[in-house]
Amino acid sequence: MLKKKIPVLLCFLAGLLPIISFFFTSPGDGLREANDTLEQWLVVVSGFALLLGVISVFQVNLRKISNRSKGWVNAIYLLASLVIMGAFGLMDAFSEMPGWGWVGTSGNTGFNWIFDAIFQPLQSTMFSLLAFYVASAAFRAFRARNLEAGLLLAAAMVVMLGINPYVVKVLPFLPEWTRWIMNGPNAAAQRGIIIGAALGAASMTLRILLGIERSWLGLQEGE
Amino acid sequence: MNFMDWITNLDRRWLYLLVGVFAIVPLIFPLGMPVNVSPAVQSLYDHVEGMNPGEIIMVSMDYGPSTGPENDPMACALIRHALSRDLRIVMLALYPIGGVNEGIQELQRCVGDLDPPNGVLESTKFPGKIYGKDFVYLGYKDGGLATMRQMNENIHEVFPSDYWQTPVTEYELSNEVQGYDDVNFAFSVATGIIGEWWANTVNAQFGLPVAVGCTAVSAPKYFAYYNAGQMFALLGGLKGAAEYERLVLDNYPQAKADTEEQVFYAAKGWDVQSVVYSIITIFIILGNVAYLLERRRTRMQL
Amino acid sequence: MSFIPRSALSKVLVAAPFLLQASSALAQEEEVIGWGIVSDNVAALILFTLFSGVVLYQIGQARRGKELFIRRIAGLNAVEEAIGRSTELGRKVMFVPGIGTVGEVETLSALSVLKHVAKHCAEYGTPLEVPNKDPLTYAAAREAVKEAYLEAGRPDLFNEEMVPYLTYDQFAFTAQVTGKMVREKPAANFLIGSFFAESLLLAEAGQSTGAIQIAGTAQVAQLPFFVTTCDYTLIGEELYAASAYLSKDPVMLGCIKGQDIVKAIVLLWIVIGILVLSATGSTIMQDLLNSSLGN
Repeated sequence: MLKKKIPVLLCFLAGLLPIISFFFTSPGDGLREANDTLEQWLVVVSGFALLLGVISVFQVNLRKISNRSKGWVNAIYLLASLVIMGAFGLMDAFSEMPGWGWVGTSGNTGFNWIFDAIFQPLQSTMFSLLAFYVASAAFRAFRARNLEAGLLLAAAMVVMLGINPYVVKVLPFLPEWTRWIMNGPNAAAQRGIIIGAALGAASMTLRILLGIERSWLGLQEGE
Repeated sequence: MNFMDWITNLDRRWLYLLVGVFAIVPLIFPLGMPVNVSPAVQSLYDHVEGMNPGEIIMVSMDYGPSTGPENDPMACALIRHALSRDLRIVMLALYPIGGVNEGIQELQRCVGDLDPPNGVLESTKFPGKIYGKDFVYLGYKDGGLATMRQMNENIHEVFPSDYWQTPVTEYELSNEVQGYDDVNFAFSVATGIIGEWWANTVNAQFGLPVAVGCTAVSAPKYFAYYNAGQMFALLGGLKGAAEYERLVLDNYPQAKADTEEQVFYAAKGWDVQSVVYSIITIFIILGNVAYLLERRRTRMQL
Repeated sequence: MSFIPRSALSKVLVAAPFLLQASSALAQEEEVIGWGIVSDNVAALILFTLFSGVVLYQIGQARRGKELFIRRIAGLNAVEEAIGRSTELGRKVMFVPGIGTVGEVETLSALSVLKHVAKHCAEYGTPLEVPNKDPLTYAAAREAVKEAYLEAGRPDLFNEEMVPYLTYDQFAFTAQVTGKMVREKPAANFLIGSFFAESLLLAEAGQSTGAIQIAGTAQVAQLPFFVTTCDYTLIGEELYAASAYLSKDPVMLGCIKGQDIVKAIVLLWIVIGILVLSATGSTIMQDLLNSSLGN
């Protein structure tokens, strides 16, 4: 029973501290200090949790290799990349420690080289896929199937044409229409969703702090 | 199969191919598309123009390499604009993966190669501008929102040393900047949520004026903050970057020369984006024409 | 029974002095500030008290057995349909709990839905995979899925590989998940939680495989992408209401009702603000709110 109550109690206390320190002052500014300490703990805990993740990556992929599961060769590439990048990073970190001077700048050089030559282009490639996916999603979605879809299509056309410099030369009123759509209906709808979501988040937070909502902890209602 | 049937049942890979081709061509043969400056961008330019020499801008690199093509030109244009006007810059990075690299890359792209630990402090691109006096790079700190809150208390505790691990108190500029009160405004070059935190935490709770340069996909969301006055300027995607770059390039010849030396900058990206937008627009129109014709044909058969 | 007794507010009040004392002991500064209210945040405190009061009152009403109505949320009704379809096709269900950390309320909501989905998967014996980007979320997701299988009486079906940790990098994570979608073709994809630029990449990849897709996020910028590529989308507050909706727990529904009452108050405030501004040119309603934000 205690095993289940302690996490909820900790959650309650950890959640209450930032709220209280936001509203109240205390002698010696202790509340704020305590809250800052708590936030630093969060950063440290996240760092350690990453270790858990790395262990999971090793477990899952080593099992895949030993069982010769489908795609096991990819698991080798993955683990090799992890070890190489991790090694360069550690070498760089250790290079400044006494007795590790022999490492020199090789860790930093290796890490940066992989980052610039491999990681960065791969990242940009993944993000640039958005251009292709936006095209196909827009092509599929913007069909005037009914009145609402027709309005959506019309708004999309105005915005897309309104930022096209050549179209604007022919239809100079379009940028103003675009601004109106973006700042009027678009911003109004976005704010509506943001207000609703913010209140939803506040309500969810209250449920969590009060221990009413606990399924995220893996606990059942009533436990 | 006629053209309209082909459009109706278009295999998405054809669309990918067209987008790919029309994205590459303007990069090789720049079109020099005209740019219309929007009020949200003009506001940043006017604010920087209105600052007194020596005032400080905080530039937060809140993006990684993935959105570099959109975000890099924003950071570059602001750094060049600020240094051209004798303003000072404190740079930092809050984006965990690659933010710190983007920071040093863009800073060195604008001011030239630096090696402060070995005494290479002066900018080669902006002669007379010295690292630590006119600009400083504090590097990366983990923690996002928590870090931003702590910076309000004392930046020196959050960033005790700069990117090259030199204590921040050793440089005139970083020693001077201890909290948000010491800077004129913060410019967050952002992807994802970090730019929002600058608006709804640093601006809303601590009152520091904030401007954001965000990716195009996030721009509609950021416009809500801009319209609510939680940021005084907004550069939305490559379009916003190209508009700001245009304003800086038109007024500062040194910035123009340096920018046009680069392989990629916002104006080139804007060419690509405009062409791809046009392709998408044409296909949406064709898709709708085909859909309406098909619907009419079905009705007539009934 | 819930951990917090009926009068949750009394618990808050009892705990507060203890916390204040404990935290003041940690203080290192010599400067004496003293007890008080942060003057910039007085209006926010009033709003916070009003919000908490209304929600706690509604929880009390719910505990007394008052019937509460919650509107139909199509995306959540489709959860079982999606799992059923996967079961019929003999293919797996993929649940991506976003890329946010467990500190975000959005992620916690996603984990609540995950537990519900995992329980159904365990009951039907449908394979489930929950790839993770954030290490803390990964640990929490693994625990939630494990508990769900235990509750469903099928702990034998759970194995830790069902909840793998992939990578901390946003786009490397996206590449792995889209790769899995294309290669392994899950019949149902749940994209619920905090999503950013990867939303369209994941949803479009899933759409291309013909999977039934249910998405949910409070990230406004990503909603259009989900709406255009997924079969159902939980929009903003619907995501936060999901656990209450799925559990049908009256106390949780009481929270939702309290939240809706506050929303009505906010709407009323906005309407009055517009009327006052239009009629008199006074920005008093706006100024009152601004002071709550410390501006």
